[in-house]
Amino acid sequence: MRQVPVIGPIRRGLQSDFALRFRRSRNAMIGSVLVSIVLVVAIFAPWLAPYDYEQINMLAIWRPPGGEHLLGTDALGRDVFSRILIGARVSLTVAGSVLAITLTIGVTLGMIAGYFGGWAETIIMRTVDIIFAFPELILAILVAAVLGTGTTTVIIALSLVWWPGIARLTRSLVLSLREEMFVDAAIASGTRSWRILLRHLLPNIASPIIVRASVGVGFIIMAEATLSFLGIGVQEPTPTWGGMIRDGLAALRTDPHLALFTSLALAITIIGFNLLGDGLRDLLDPKVRDR
Amino acid sequence: MLRYGVRRLLGLIPVLLAAVILTFLANQAVPGDPITGLLSDQSGDAALEARLRAAYGLDRPLWQQFVDYILGVLQGDFGLSFRFAQMPVIDIIGEGLLISPVLALSALAIAFPLGMLLGTIAAIRQNSWVDTSIILVLVAGISVPNFALASFLVYIFALQLDWVPVAGWGSFSQAIIPITLLVVPTSAYIARLNRTYMLEVLRTDYIRTARAKGLREKIVIWRHAVRNTLVPLLTTVGIILGGLLSGTFVVETIFNIPGLGSLAIQAIFARDYPVTMAIVLLFTVFYAGINLIVDLLYSAIDPRIRLGDRAA
Repeated sequence: MRQVPVIGPIRRGLQSDFALRFRRSRNAMIGSVLVSIVLVVAIFAPWLAPYDYEQINMLAIWRPPGGEHLLGTDALGRDVFSRILIGARVSLTVAGSVLAITLTIGVTLGMIAGYFGGWAETIIMRTVDIIFAFPELILAILVAAVLGTGTTTVIIALSLVWWPGIARLTRSLVLSLREEMFVDAAIASGTRSWRILLRHLLPNIASPIIVRASVGVGFIIMAEATLSFLGIGVQEPTPTWGGMIRDGLAALRTDPHLALFTSLALAITIIGFNLLGDGLRDLLDPKVRDR
Repeated sequence: MLRYGVRRLLGLIPVLLAAVILTFLANQAVPGDPITGLLSDQSGDAALEARLRAAYGLDRPLWQQFVDYILGVLQGDFGLSFRFAQMPVIDIIGEGLLISPVLALSALAIAFPLGMLLGTIAAIRQNSWVDTSIILVLVAGISVPNFALASFLVYIFALQLDWVPVAGWGSFSQAIIPITLLVVPTSAYIARLNRTYMLEVLRTDYIRTARAKGLREKIVIWRHAVRNTLVPLLTTVGIILGGLLSGTFVVETIFNIPGLGSLAIQAIFARDYPVTMAIVLLFTVFYAGINLIVDLLYSAIDPRIRLGDRAA
């Protein structure tokens, strides 16, 4: 057990306590640095990219790294470095959308199921069970096959497989809080149900859900890249890391730079998000906090 | 125990029914008319069109198509392929039927002991440099997608060092990189879980007792502690297998392995929906079956769990 020495005032605010422990966690720090870099790249990609990512130049195909093109060019003479930068933007846009949708749907349905129970709970949780019966990625592939490829498809497919986990977690959190005194007090004083849910329950279940979401970002980015890699995700000419690695693997023998640099970018991004997610979990989850 | 098993088996029925309904509806929802696609050149031939429609059962009302589909699936008949005229789906997927499960299960067989070993070592040396470096390797192992790892491994071991073939299927050396790709994230996942469980177990009273009565540390760890982390680990085998099955889709595609995963992807691009849906259905059945076996094993291993007697 790691003891935090108590120096100065014992009653330290929650915020500064969190910040202190966060800075002590080496992995969380490395993760947050990597994630910050990826975020900055994603936001400012159009201005950081030295070339137009769509600009085809058949006179300069498969240029090796170095010289005019920092990371070389691809089969159509497009600048790999620029496409990797824009790829970060695509990847994070999909991940952000999926996260927003799944949190909204998952938390709402999970709270309804946990708080009201009854037939609403039965319908919601049976649906969750059925979705859980499929292996995640395979269900996403099924949805993508039906809806046809594209960015919207990817977001819908990944949201579909990701919300049940959030809903199940939310429901179990609400179930355990519903018996608490402060909820009884709120009911007794005539507070409306939706107000109890939003004002009294939501703030109390927020931190485990944030942990769950942050651990999930890495998975969502990986799933998006996998769908793109298989060719059923975001389509050309929009650059995606998954698609670029697929193209690069085909030319690995002669021009390995496309596959290797893109794989590196993807790996670093997911490692960053997972380190940050793990760090947040260790800090916010009281069960593992004091180890 | 028996009652629990029967109840779990019955519980599978709605899930599988949902899977069949979903795949059937998905078949209906896909854009375009498959018969028009099959006709292509002979699109004016009304007689041929009628004959094909009858062969595919598409001339019957929807409810009857559904009943026929379910009855067919129960007998291992998944209908006819849209890509190869009048060819039964089962003939197309028959050859690759075992490849994906074999890949997934052999990866699991390697990853499970490897993950347990790594997780245990990390837990014994908690907070030392050994622990820290193992954790970093594990995070990387979980984070790097298999196709990204594939580009590094193929580049180094197949192209630069020339130790193994680049792709293909049939020989042992061709299976090394594909199975490694499946083993890496799986063993990392198991190791991380096992580290957490092990840290919990090492704090329990019975471990203190074992040490207090003078047992050697080796026996305390490998006989007393490891046995108790096995039970919670076993419950995650279902999730692990789901990941492995998804992994076979990618790995088979990369290395041109003629398993169900790569077949499914090819079928998606050829708009051969009956094949895609049949494979999704088979994977779901396999996945559900393994989860059932794991649950039964779980209650058999841990005598404290009397799932059958618990009020439902």
